[in-house]
Amino acid sequence: MFQPVKPAQWLMVVAAVAAMIAVPLVTRDSYLLHVLILAMIFGIFASAWNLVAGFAGLKTFGHHAFFGIGAYVSALISIKAGLSPWLTIWIGALAATVAGVFIGLPILRIKSMAHVAIVTLGFAEIVRIVISNLQSVTRGELGLWGIRPFEGFDLPGFGTIVFSPADKVPYYYLALVLLLLSVAAIALLMRSRIGLSIIAMRDAEDAAESLGVNLTRKKLQVFAISAFLVGIAGAFYAHYISILTPNAAVGADLMILVIAMALVGGLSTFAGPLVGALILTGLVELLRDLDQFRLLVYGAMIILIVMFLPKGLMTLGPMLKRRFTPSSSS
Amino acid sequence: MTFTIFLEQIINGLIIGSMYALIGSGIALVYGTMRVLNLAHGEFYMLGGYFVFFLAVTYGLPPFLAIPVAVVGTFFLGMLIQRMTIHYLLGKEGWMFSTIAATLGLSIVLQNAALLLFGEQFQSVPYYLDGMLEIAGIRIPYQRLLIFVVALGTIGVMTFVLKKTRLGWAIRATAQDRDAAAVVGIPAQRIYLITFGLAAALGAVAAAMLAPIYAINPWSGLPILLKGFVVVILGGLGSFPGAIAGGLLLGVVEAIGVQLTSSEWRDVIGFALMIAVIWWRPWGLFGKKA
Repeated sequence: MFQPVKPAQWLMVVAAVAAMIAVPLVTRDSYLLHVLILAMIFGIFASAWNLVAGFAGLKTFGHHAFFGIGAYVSALISIKAGLSPWLTIWIGALAATVAGVFIGLPILRIKSMAHVAIVTLGFAEIVRIVISNLQSVTRGELGLWGIRPFEGFDLPGFGTIVFSPADKVPYYYLALVLLLLSVAAIALLMRSRIGLSIIAMRDAEDAAESLGVNLTRKKLQVFAISAFLVGIAGAFYAHYISILTPNAAVGADLMILVIAMALVGGLSTFAGPLVGALILTGLVELLRDLDQFRLLVYGAMIILIVMFLPKGLMTLGPMLKRRFTPSSSS
Repeated sequence: MTFTIFLEQIINGLIIGSMYALIGSGIALVYGTMRVLNLAHGEFYMLGGYFVFFLAVTYGLPPFLAIPVAVVGTFFLGMLIQRMTIHYLLGKEGWMFSTIAATLGLSIVLQNAALLLFGEQFQSVPYYLDGMLEIAGIRIPYQRLLIFVVALGTIGVMTFVLKKTRLGWAIRATAQDRDAAAVVGIPAQRIYLITFGLAAALGAVAAAMLAPIYAINPWSGLPILLKGFVVVILGGLGSFPGAIAGGLLLGVVEAIGVQLTSSEWRDVIGFALMIAVIWWRPWGLFGKKA
């Protein structure tokens, strides 16, 4: 993780980004763009979860709370106070960050993985039930609809950009920008002092602590950043989909999907959660006609991955390479 | 609100709490013995409920026959599932997380398999007992009294098994120190298998007793699992007696909380209590600081 990025890796990154930029130039098929936009939202979500669960080794099961908080706070403020979504998505993300610190403080003092899993799961359930019960504000299970879309603006050279359900291209590029910023933030964070410290404390907590790494503070910082990123993803989702229900925005299914994405792609890698998000979002759409089998397939996939490919698909390549190349005398 | 109604609610809370205790003790048993947090525990409750439903309603067996068969069936199902999945993960690199993830996967698979096989309609089982007990104006249906008696009986049997039988000694020895237990010839793998089956069976007992009150459907495991989690945090994760105390406490706190607010906030009260306990005494209300 701390080796300098190799030229070949840079090339891969540039090629991937170029391909993502090129998609709307090739096709304007709104269904395909919609699937890719969802994949990018989940890509941010899964990467942020991986930051905490993979890199920092804090196995939380309640990050969907931050997605829901980001989504509902941004949507409600834009509706009730008439503010622009360009502003409210940041308020939503900040609200998610505050919630992250609130729940992060008690759990970070605990070293038991099981306690962390239970408490984060319980916290997300509280958020879901509160949103569902406060019907006078959120409309509960009926769904919060009429969420304002992003305002259009003039972009020199491209004319007026309008965000409407009819044209997915502006949303696509906005999602791409958010995704790239999020991944860049995570990559920079992991290459900074904080990144070094959190890897050290994941792999040897006592040793890191004895060398003066302030565990709780570092973990809390990482947890807050992760909650912020998930909050942004949720807020963007709200103004893109323009209808929210407690189950869609804070349901346990959402968390299951994101965990499956990170595990399938590969925990503790940069590209894993992104690849997982792309594969699983695509799979959701392929299985749309077989809706009753969809969750069954996810569940089975999680079991098979942890049993047979615990480091995810990203390690499949090197593993196969090792197996099929004649080993030199090492 | 009169004092009688208040007292009635407390008693109802204790009765439901005795069921929470059964669920929590299953989670605590598995965690205490093999350090596995079983996210699929609720699904054994759900499957136990279907077992009872099919035996008692579809095939018309009398309840006193249907329930033991269902509990034994769930015991073997639990062992089978443990042997096929968790067995291979224990002790491998990163097993603490991989077992949680695997049981999460299991929970989804079992839920959706039940949905495909049994359909999404809500099933229920008729009351095992009719009528009410009335003492000094407090009315308790016999059905609920039966729940409490069965819970006490099950806890009594489990305590006896854990304290007084060779199997119980082996389970507790493995929980305390797996390697030392292995030195004196206790096969840890077989103990894990049996413990997992016992926990599943505890879930099935709770399901059998709650089936006439709460409907059975493929999703009925998740809310019960979350209750069980609150219970084990209150009681200290991994402690069997702690889970019993935690279950009863949660039942009573919920009953009082619902009186003060309304029933839609029932789950929030439990979770808030759990987070407060994590802040204040992470090792549980009844446990000792590690």
